[in-house]
Amino acid sequence: MLTIGIESSAHTFGVGIVDKGRVLANEKLMYDVGSRGMIPSKVAETHVKNARTVIRMALDKAKVEMRDIEGVGYTRGPGIGACLQVGQLAAKTIAAGLGVKIVPVNHAVAHAEITKHEAGFGDPITLYVSGGNSQLLKLAKGPSPHYQILGETFDIGVGNMLDAFAREIKLKPAWGSTVARFAANGKYIEMPYTVKGMDFAFTGLLTYASSLAGKESKEDLCYSIQETSFAMLCEATERALLLTNSDELCVCGGVAQSSRLKEMLASVCKEHGMRFGFAANEFNADNGGMIAYVAERMLRNGFSVPLERCDIEQRYRIDRAVVY
Amino acid sequence: MRQLSEGAEARVYATSVFGKEAVAKVRHAKAYRIKVLDETLRKTRTRREARAMARAAEAGVRVPELLGLGMFSIYMEKVKGKLLKDTTGARVRYGEIGRMLAKMHGADVIHGDFTPANIMISSSGPCVIDFGLAEIGESMEGKAIDLLLIKRSIGKREYSELSKAYSKAYADSKKIFARLADIERRGRYQIRTLA
Repeated sequence: MLTIGIESSAHTFGVGIVDKGRVLANEKLMYDVGSRGMIPSKVAETHVKNARTVIRMALDKAKVEMRDIEGVGYTRGPGIGACLQVGQLAAKTIAAGLGVKIVPVNHAVAHAEITKHEAGFGDPITLYVSGGNSQLLKLAKGPSPHYQILGETFDIGVGNMLDAFAREIKLKPAWGSTVARFAANGKYIEMPYTVKGMDFAFTGLLTYASSLAGKESKEDLCYSIQETSFAMLCEATERALLLTNSDELCVCGGVAQSSRLKEMLASVCKEHGMRFGFAANEFNADNGGMIAYVAERMLRNGFSVPLERCDIEQRYRIDRAVVY
Repeated sequence: MRQLSEGAEARVYATSVFGKEAVAKVRHAKAYRIKVLDETLRKTRTRREARAMARAAEAGVRVPELLGLGMFSIYMEKVKGKLLKDTTGARVRYGEIGRMLAKMHGADVIHGDFTPANIMISSSGPCVIDFGLAEIGESMEGKAIDLLLIKRSIGKREYSELSKAYSKAYADSKKIFARLADIERRGRYQIRTLA
């Protein structure tokens, strides 16, 4: 079932096209966050400007025409309201124009599901680490399957923490990946470490590391904030794996692009003889392919939503989304 | 040493100290994190755990006797008995457990994982084990969560017996119960709606 998926929850406008679980196209254009972070109205404006172009890019890449599309999916949330609305409107317009079924998708579910699919895993624990989210997830099966949150951040996502820190010490570009580059040549400075069972918190670490800006070298600060925050994630993950008797771990979300985090998680799995899997980076960054993948499966399983009930929800928590 | 159990943080071994049957709880190295962070965490946590145990014991709570302390390991008495979670049908004095928790909180020891898997029923009465997540502090939230954890894992009647004894034995119990009610109202996930 040729399905188009639209993602616009944050700085990326992404369009994916999927057929029978195969991603034919996964195109995107991004808002330049620069040194100021995201200003919702500006990001939404950029999405409006880019929407048609990205849709065209995806159709060309997949070598299909708009009239061939048999189903539509879009990100309902979580995300920035103004940004979500752009994708929602584009998706509804396509569905209405073609007279095909449409389904709203939870952004976090899409990350977890495409990663499980790419890794070929059955029932993993999933560590979802992005800008706004940091959660340990397990799919609870039953009549209405949904992801259960085993543990999560008490305050901010690890990605936002690293991005905010990059802005604080004026790295360019101000991204977590720049922090990773600087970290390569750093020494360790002790920093606050907060894990409670399977939950964790990052603001204390951010405040402390920021307070050392200018006093310690950027390299040392980047190394220390990265090692500390990733070790926190690994400790909570290890506990979740052992408590649930799982033998598979997936990592997904923007921060899953970090090779250091993947190296650490692989070490956790190795100690216990568990399998570790992740998807290609194009699926860890925000993308439309994962939305199309989940949408196609939901539509094939007979789940769709009438156009007039296709809304958005900024705080659409993963544990309230049914996974068909 | 024979390994008895494996946790995320530590391994527990059977051993003996001065001819006495004992267990050794060892926080082993974690290869995923850098050595300096790994050692700092293991050292501070081992020390914190021993300190919480000692403080609880001083307050009159039955805990395994501390027999020795290494940089990353704690040697303690092997308590004989059954875990509360495995005592099906047996008569358990929940009032006694409530009084123990009251003494612990009175001494500002927060257990951090106060569940039936960490309460041993021995011939001399209940004994609190595994202070691995314990903290020393006045946090009402922490104390209320100790109560919440045990409330969720035992029956209504059992909890009523436990909580009655707790209120009688702990002067600040009113404040802790108020906080507990607050936490339960809050739920784990507060869904904030944007105006």
